[in-house]
Amino acid sequence: MPVQLTMPRLSDTMEAGTIVRWNVKEGDSVASGDVVADIETDKATMEMPVYDDGVISRIMVEAGKQVPVGTPIAIITLEGDAAVDGAAPVTKSAPAATIASTTQMPTQTQTSTPAASVAPTAASVAHATSSAASASADSNRQRVSPLARKIADELGVSIVSLRGSGPGGRVVKHDVLAEAQRMKSGGARATEMVHVACATAVAAGGASSEIMLSSMRQTIARRLVESKSTIPHYQVSMRFNMDPLLELRTMLNVQLAPQGVKLSVNDFIVRACALSMAAHPFFNASWGGDRIIMHGDVNIGVAISLPQERGGGLVVAVLREAQRKGLREISAETKALAEKARVRGLAAEDMAGATFTISNLGMFGVDNFTAIINPPNSAILACGAAVEQPVVRNHQLVVGHEMQATLSLDHRVIDGAMASEYLQSVKHNIENPATLLV
Amino acid sequence: MTTTTMREIEFRDAVREAMCEEMRRDKRVYLLGEEVAQYNGAYKVSKGMLDEFGPRRVIDTPISECGFAGMAIGSAMMGLRPIVEFMSWSFSLVAADPILNNAPKMLYMSGGQFGCPIVFRGNNGAGGQLGSTHSWAVEGLFSNVPGMKMVIPSNPYDAKGLLKTAIRDEDPVFFLESERLLSMKGEVPEEEYLIPFGQARVARAGTDCTLVSFGRPVNLCLEAAESLEKEGISCEILDMRTIRPLDAGAIVRSVKRTGACVVVDQSWSFGSPGSEVAALVHRECFDDLDNYVHRVHTADVPAPYAYDLEQEYLPNARRICEAVRSCLYRA
Repeated sequence: MPVQLTMPRLSDTMEAGTIVRWNVKEGDSVASGDVVADIETDKATMEMPVYDDGVISRIMVEAGKQVPVGTPIAIITLEGDAAVDGAAPVTKSAPAATIASTTQMPTQTQTSTPAASVAPTAASVAHATSSAASASADSNRQRVSPLARKIADELGVSIVSLRGSGPGGRVVKHDVLAEAQRMKSGGARATEMVHVACATAVAAGGASSEIMLSSMRQTIARRLVESKSTIPHYQVSMRFNMDPLLELRTMLNVQLAPQGVKLSVNDFIVRACALSMAAHPFFNASWGGDRIIMHGDVNIGVAISLPQERGGGLVVAVLREAQRKGLREISAETKALAEKARVRGLAAEDMAGATFTISNLGMFGVDNFTAIINPPNSAILACGAAVEQPVVRNHQLVVGHEMQATLSLDHRVIDGAMASEYLQSVKHNIENPATLLV
Repeated sequence: MTTTTMREIEFRDAVREAMCEEMRRDKRVYLLGEEVAQYNGAYKVSKGMLDEFGPRRVIDTPISECGFAGMAIGSAMMGLRPIVEFMSWSFSLVAADPILNNAPKMLYMSGGQFGCPIVFRGNNGAGGQLGSTHSWAVEGLFSNVPGMKMVIPSNPYDAKGLLKTAIRDEDPVFFLESERLLSMKGEVPEEEYLIPFGQARVARAGTDCTLVSFGRPVNLCLEAAESLEKEGISCEILDMRTIRPLDAGAIVRSVKRTGACVVVDQSWSFGSPGSEVAALVHRECFDDLDNYVHRVHTADVPAPYAYDLEQEYLPNARRICEAVRSCLYRA
């Protein structure tokens, strides 16, 4: 029986995927394990393998198109199958796609008329067409329960920008009541303002053009708006004397060069931040609504910008259990992740589970900047360059290197004094870099 | 106002008291069915009735539902008020033509010349490991027919009050008891009382979710509501008592307050009282619903014989809890 491939669900939050590239064309033979396509999800571009030996008899969604999870995208004819027109294919997708969808039920053979050229079952056709037809209209359509709408009217709550907690993002009673409560207490709105923000029209002269958003750009937009509009951000900055660290780094890199190790300033900063967590556990925590969730391991996210040829944008690669890792390991892992991000793209698991994030623009000559918290983190550290400048050391004006570091913090979790103490601790580690070696 | 004297009696005693009181009150009322007389009833519901009323009013019949049901319908058309006992409603299926095709339509077809004041009663729903053919819950199948009334009591008090009303009613009444409830004890007053048709009872008051049920599953709803309360979920349970007529007003009023509705019905889901209630709620309470009406039914398969399978096949407290949580987005 032919096998129908459907758009797999490659991450928890994935609702649709774009076929970046087909590695096969109709008529090609494939074997189990072959990567037939690259799929762009909301987070990353991932490879889609097949699990059957056969011939790609039909490609139903061309490269570059985005379709909802579960949509049939190709058919593999197995050995012994009649022509693809003759039988109902068994629907398959990557094993990660474990969602129960009607299209993934193995289907029984149906008598198909010549008119039924591709013969998925009636159910899967109905599903496919309805989801395809609704993809453009429905994915943006806001779903609101009747009761939620009624209560919103009564309480004067605007539901236009509300994001629902129900199935498919349905706004339910609870969401409206929570929003009403927030409005009453004047707190931050847990709402998505994207619609509002993009409603402004500008009539500029000259030739304008429009760039459609990639999935990654959409994700960046959604998550950062959510972060900036729901988390009470504030910033605390400190200057670090970088001379001892730069000196140590030069020495280490000379001595480690034969082993191919080259430590970056950022590797030291990752290590310093991770070590300081032990005494300051709230920096490795998440806001949980009615509680604060204290994480065990320190998973440090490192922001990596992507080259234009990979579509630009940025991703956050995650160094797991950073509190247990030495400089050499941090350095090697960061390099590997950055390389993978820029060349092949990170897998979902490379980007999941960060508990604290570091963004470093020092290599671009930036003096200082502030970063937006990467939810569900409670803090992010923004590092500028170690700039050679006149500084005061031991009451003398001398030339030295200083770096400015700025923490952005979630005030629900971390207060100003706590932030200062943590920065003091990081500063101590950076300015006494031998502590980072052992 | 007279004071009432309560005592605890079993469901089967309540049914018998209703029949005896009505037979004393009205000479036209008589009971017939398999083993109702000399054996005192297959489930001892009619115990002692032969002694009190004699063999002309408490009549043992052959094992021939189609024959004795048809005969009883004829006597009802001619002015008597028969009570037909089916040992199980599963056995009534061989009498489908008289009870569904004749009795409920007689008044209409005769242009009002012949009414059919008759009560059909007996055990309905799974009795416990009786197999597919003897475990019928007929409410879905039979309530589809216009011209009849259907009563499904959940406790002794309601059983007595509703059966007395059924015997006095001018239309054919399908009175569905449960073998699983016959030994259930409950408070029933010594004094006479009747319970009108079409009036639901609030079996438990609550604020978060309306549970609509009838018959034995009402007791499962009460059990589920107990455990849901520990999770902070307050359930309101409506015991409909009668399916035809259905107290739509009570359902609508409750759902408009809670915004959530779960129907618990021991019949199969397709074309059932449960689907009728769901349609009603979606029509009348559309703007008050935070989620679609959730339904708990027996599974859409013939009743299994194996004990564990049958327990999962029937509505049970766990499945009711799951439906309520899901309806409230707390799953």
